Amino acid sequence: MLSNSWNNILDWFRDRSERSKLVRSFNESARNSFVGGIAPTLLKAKISKGESAYKHQFSNWLNTGYRIQAFTGKQLSKDELMHIGKVILNDEILVRKLVVLGWDTLEIHGDEGTYGCRWQLKDYIPLPKFNQE
Amino acid sequence: MNDTLIQDSLKVAEKVVAKTTENNDSSNLWMWVAIGEFAIIIGLILANRFKRKPNAKKQFKDESLAQEVDFNNIINSSFHSNELYDILKVKCHPDRFPTDPKLNEIAEKLFQEITKSKTNVKRLQELKIEAQQKLNINF
Repeated sequence: MLSNSWNNILDWFRDRSERSKLVRSFNESARNSFVGGIAPTLLKAKISKGESAYKHQFSNWLNTGYRIQAFTGKQLSKDELMHIGKVILNDEILVRKLVVLGWDTLEIHGDEGTYGCRWQLKDYIPLPKFNQE
Repeated sequence: MNDTLIQDSLKVAEKVVAKTTENNDSSNLWMWVAIGEFAIIIGLILANRFKRKPNAKKQFKDESLAQEVDFNNIINSSFHSNELYDILKVKCHPDRFPTDPKLNEIAEKLFQEITKSKTNVKRLQELKIEAQQKLNINF
């Protein structure tokens, strides 16, 4: 029991570090692409509340949403927001990372108001059933 | 006579005290050795218990975290994959090579791959080069 608790504490710290690394890396690439003229809109990733109905076995207790928001630059239409979502969901490595780090919701938002699209991450990756072992 | 006896008994007592002290020193040393050994054994047992047993969930997580994500490609694909896909799907369509069965087969395979990678600019660019080489298409 003691060892489990200790390992859980270590895991929690490692996951937090990996989560912030994933958000930071995305923001850095988005910023460089915007500055370099590759991307017409500045995207920014952040952690959001998420949708509790999308929970899976790796889900965190709180803040389970990975939100990408469009900031300055060209206004994005709904189709463009959907396309960004599809690009992310088609990247199997990124989806796997998001899932194991406790995120269960992907949100793509525009820069005005709260309109946007939302996906359930577990639909895009075959998760093994570990509890049945 | 009494004085001599007292002096003798004092000497004997001194000798006894000296011997007892010597014995205590050696027994103390062995006690510390035993404590040291005990501490090492406890340490080894704890280290063994704290060593994580590999399980499937942990393994899945570690494998997933070990892979690197190409964020530059993701950002680039978010804004430019559609236009490249639109060009490639027209230029590499198998119906453009109806007379040559060999070229038609290559185009068929390329077209399938293009459709599969429609949201991945990096892969589409590789396929574009492949199409230029194998199908002699000018973009």
